[in-house]
Amino acid sequence: MSNPTETNAAQARTAAPPPPPAPPPAEWWRSARWRWGAAALLAAAACYAPFQLVPFHVFQLTMVLIYAVALLGLNLLVGHAGQISLGHGAFFAVGAYTAAILLEHWALPYPLTLPVAAGAAFLLGLAFGVPAMRLRGLYLALVTLAIAIFLVPLLKRFEDLTGGSMGLTLAKPAPPAWSGLAEDQWLYFLTLAVAVAAFLLCAGLLRSRVGRALHAIRDNEGAAEVMGVRLSVHKTLAFAWSAMFAGTAGCVYTWVIGFVSPDSFTVNLSITLLAGLVVGGLGSLSGPVLGGLFVMFVPGLAQDINDAAPGVIFGLLIIAVMYVAPTGLAGLAGRLIRKIPRKE
Amino acid sequence: MAGFLQQLVQGLGAGAIYASLALALVLIYQFTGIVNFAQGELAMFSTYIAWQLTAAGLPFWLALVTTLAVSFAGGMLIERVIIRPVEGAPELTLVIVTVGLFIFVNAAAGWIWTFLIKDFPNPFPAGALEAGGISVSFSTLGVLAVVGVVMGLLYVLFRHTKIGLGMRAVATNPESARLVGIRVGWTLALGWGLASTVGAVSGVLVAPLLFLEPNMMGGVLIYAFAAATLGGFDSPMGAVAGGLIVGVAETLAGAYVGFIGSDLKVGVPLVIILGVLLLRPQGLFGRAVVERA
Amino acid sequence: MTDLVVEELTAGYGDARVLHGVSLTVGQGEICAILGPNGAGKTTLLRALSGMIRARGTVTLGGADLTGRSPDTLARQGIAHVPEGRGTFMPLTVEENLRLGAYVRRRGADVEADLDRIHTYFPVLKTRLKQAAGSLSGGEQQMLAIGRALMSRPRLLLLDEPSLGLAPLVTRELFRIVQAINAEERTTVVVVEQNAHLALGIAQQAHVLETGRIVLSGTAEEIRADEQVAQSYLGYRV
Repeated sequence: MSNPTETNAAQARTAAPPPPPAPPPAEWWRSARWRWGAAALLAAAACYAPFQLVPFHVFQLTMVLIYAVALLGLNLLVGHAGQISLGHGAFFAVGAYTAAILLEHWALPYPLTLPVAAGAAFLLGLAFGVPAMRLRGLYLALVTLAIAIFLVPLLKRFEDLTGGSMGLTLAKPAPPAWSGLAEDQWLYFLTLAVAVAAFLLCAGLLRSRVGRALHAIRDNEGAAEVMGVRLSVHKTLAFAWSAMFAGTAGCVYTWVIGFVSPDSFTVNLSITLLAGLVVGGLGSLSGPVLGGLFVMFVPGLAQDINDAAPGVIFGLLIIAVMYVAPTGLAGLAGRLIRKIPRKE
Repeated sequence: MAGFLQQLVQGLGAGAIYASLALALVLIYQFTGIVNFAQGELAMFSTYIAWQLTAAGLPFWLALVTTLAVSFAGGMLIERVIIRPVEGAPELTLVIVTVGLFIFVNAAAGWIWTFLIKDFPNPFPAGALEAGGISVSFSTLGVLAVVGVVMGLLYVLFRHTKIGLGMRAVATNPESARLVGIRVGWTLALGWGLASTVGAVSGVLVAPLLFLEPNMMGGVLIYAFAAATLGGFDSPMGAVAGGLIVGVAETLAGAYVGFIGSDLKVGVPLVIILGVLLLRPQGLFGRAVVERA
Repeated sequence: MTDLVVEELTAGYGDARVLHGVSLTVGQGEICAILGPNGAGKTTLLRALSGMIRARGTVTLGGADLTGRSPDTLARQGIAHVPEGRGTFMPLTVEENLRLGAYVRRRGADVEADLDRIHTYFPVLKTRLKQAAGSLSGGEQQMLAIGRALMSRPRLLLLDEPSLGLAPLVTRELFRIVQAINAEERTTVVVVEQNAHLALGIAQQAHVLETGRIVLSGTAEEIRADEQVAQSYLGYRV
């Protein structure tokens, strides 16, 4: 039903003289001031949230951040270098187990596990990246899928080290007395710090020569090669970095959960990560955060309908996103913001 | 020695199943340049259809024929509805779409038939053929025979029929194929239908050996990938040879390399894939790798 | 009697328009040469005629409206396009390539007879029947491509730069065969060619295309006689 006053208003608007030229909306939302403002707001919210939420919700938020770090890595590979990994759960697991084993067998202080776990994942990524990246991205998908499938029996085999099927149970990092924080809050802030560092590192990486080389590869391998981009080197390094972020996320996962077992890191995790990233948005910095929210909350919500519902939803969403919005939720949000009518 | 031959035969039996799924992968790759990550799940879904039909009282072989026909139509439908809109898209998009299909089909089977395992009837008689100290079960013989027949039928189709010639033309040069009057879109759909049918055969063959459940084909898929990589993604013959080799390698490794045992056998395809990529990237029977634009 | 009628054809790739309203007619059984410099839109014109790219305007062949049809439909309607680069099915054998040319036809017996007919035009192909087409020389591949096109018994044959990459002697032989085919089968031919001299030698009429427009039309003799045209468009002196 149409409202006469509205119609009049619309007519009045069209009749009114054209507004003075305002900056195009795209520029407005890209403007540095707006971005810094949004970032500051987000940071304030991120620091304020754990004091307002119940511990379980703080824990959920922590998990979102962990997934976001893993997706940041996956995004580097898929969204920026245009290569596919179906086994990022495996690198996540490598990070998680490295941390767990160091804590369990060598009683290393937990902050030290982070560089070791990240380094282990990086090296492993490098090792598998060399053969897989000699050819097209397709083979990386095959190799990573094979790794993800192989990892679970491998973890179960070396029982002395990994605790076998039972896994390892560890003490969570205790909050230092000076902080006055509860355990869940302390873990949250630890994770937040790692996540922020990871985001800054990733953003820096993408702004550097490396990022431009990766984009060139993604957009046109042939042209990039002609321009002198060393394809296999960049692709392999991108894979290794991407594995490193996943390993970092896995390490923090061990801190937060305090338990690792092979069945937490099946192929399902890898595929869920890829799904989260695709839905969150390939190639954008906010995609991993949206993807992390997706990975954390959608399966749980969908499971209330049916055990199979998360898969059905994931599968359909992935296909739908590739059809209508290849840049995912982040891309959609960007498009919507740009469509917001200007205000005087 | 007899023990070794016994393992060999067993490996060939397993390999024949990998070969049939690898064949399905190669069929689609040849036509569309897509590696279909959902191939195993489509085979699993087909197997459930066969199970449903036998559970409804249909004799096994009738259920099988019906299943194959349904799989053929299903494969064509998937190409028309899901793959068509992204035809010609970057490889990244195509792989992600087939991964989406993988997740969806897997979950859809779980939704319809639950994740509880089901017994699938073995179409071949129990017992074994004894010869020279080794025994070959009728089941293994049956699997080898069925895969042999499928191979033979495909060979006849591709080499001796007009439709097969048209399909090969589309696989080698779609634009030219269009110019000689071939309906390329339908041929691609036909390729998917054919691949789904071949995949369904592998599902029905593997189900009595494993248990029927939605994740049944996950492991088989990785062996089939290894088989196709080994044989060359553009060579149907290579897929079959690769499948048999992978099956034998896996069985022998499991039996004779104590460290590997039965639990780490699933590492064999990973090693094979990496080895092929390092030593002979186009596979044993493949043409030199050409980048598809 | 006119066979091919093209009216106000516009076509291009994406946003870039290449043809700006091309109109021409070709008589039944005639050879029509399309000349012009690189980038004039000659190949685009053929691609539009065989449906490989979308075009606006109207195209009729023997009175049947063919505008906007897909390439496979047009092949069934009697248009055979030998594309630039020849469109060979490299891994398939020579015989399979030829049989693919007859894909749109129903009667098997005629196909066998046509294979023999092709061999009389191109005897060299007969000796290579079981060989992979990719192993042929450039000239042989061009012959194979024309042979493949003939296997469909086309009403209209579109040839795109048949001389490309071939030695002069081979090219001359090829044009002689095209002329013979045209004379014997009464096939209408549209040939796009850089080598204006050769093309005008076999054509009855010619059009000069420049930046997507026909700038000059006439009989082959007229075009050849026009000295100014010869210098500015065709690049050779009379």
